[in-house]
Amino acid sequence: MASFAKEFSKGIGVSNPIFILALGLCPALAVSYSLDNALGMSAAVIFVLLCSNVIISAARKIVPKIMRIPTFIVIIATFVTLVTLVFQAYVPTLYQSLGIYLPLIVVNCIILGRAEAFASKNPVIGSIADALGIGVGFALALILISFLRELLGTGGISISLFEQLFNAGSLSFTLPAFSEHPLTIFVLSPGAFLVIGLLMALFKWIGRKKND
Amino acid sequence: MPSLLRKIYPILFVTLIVFISVTLLIFTESFTSAELQARLQQQVEEELESMFPELDDSVDNEDSEVYTLLAGGETIGYAFLAVGTGYSGDIAILVGLEDSETVKGIIILSQQETPGIGDRITGDGFTGQFTGLNIDAVNFKQDGGQIDGLAMATISSEAVIDAVRDTAMEKVKLIEGVE
Repeated sequence: MASFAKEFSKGIGVSNPIFILALGLCPALAVSYSLDNALGMSAAVIFVLLCSNVIISAARKIVPKIMRIPTFIVIIATFVTLVTLVFQAYVPTLYQSLGIYLPLIVVNCIILGRAEAFASKNPVIGSIADALGIGVGFALALILISFLRELLGTGGISISLFEQLFNAGSLSFTLPAFSEHPLTIFVLSPGAFLVIGLLMALFKWIGRKKND
Repeated sequence: MPSLLRKIYPILFVTLIVFISVTLLIFTESFTSAELQARLQQQVEEELESMFPELDDSVDNEDSEVYTLLAGGETIGYAFLAVGTGYSGDIAILVGLEDSETVKGIIILSQQETPGIGDRITGDGFTGQFTGLNIDAVNFKQDGGQIDGLAMATISSEAVIDAVRDTAMEKVKLIEGVE
């Protein structure tokens, strides 16, 4: 159990996919302009990562070595297509705004990376911990980035995802005064680079302070 | 024999994996496609109401796949779906006709054209040009029609124009045949 917790916390902290490993930056940059997007993307990535890690880990002894990568890609692509179909049918607005980045999870290097580096060499329980850790680490990073971008770029936060899914109330607030003159650059592409770059620097700095 | 088996094992394995994968996806698709169909139907109805504000009833003619649009019992127009082959995938267009020769408006229901280039076909600047045109005039200006294509997006523009014109001509024959 101690090792489960260790594998899990590793993904959030020391090997955070976005801030430390700098993996999966393409979708992180592209979709993080709104919190809705970040939540949807995170859910999709966690689901695909968890399912593919479990299957790959369970099948690791029967997968022929030379067909390793094609097999992983087929397994990952299956789950991604599944998520795409479900999103298209049940959360169409999210499907529209994630656009090409949803099917592109197939080639997301976080997922293939975990399959190759971890799940194909470790038992199922450890792979679940690894997938959840890396997945939650990715989700937290994406949520942090999109929170800052949406807040600065539009002057407020609005989440309508849960409203569409469960008819729960929508969540929104605006910063008075600031919302009239938001820093629009933060919802555009340059803002993504600025926010991710500054956050990376911050986490590096924190990491170095800890080591000293 | 075992050595032969060892040679073909990778092939068999991947074939099996792909087979399982496809089965799973077909199964999922059968669930989600019904949901998708229902939503598309709803979207068509909403778009038609914005195109024909006075609309209060419509008749779905199953044979010709044309909706006859009614207001207070009078026919006020027709609507049907046209599908064009765009630059990257099908473009689904909802076409509304005022009578058997005039276009009331078109709405792009779905498309996968290049973002920022081909996807400008969804803009009012392009779709608005169809409003009020005679079906024969649905063509590029240089080809004798009245529509300005989109610069850098000729294939996408042409796909929409051709789909609207050809489907409209075909459906008009069916409409007139009924009356």
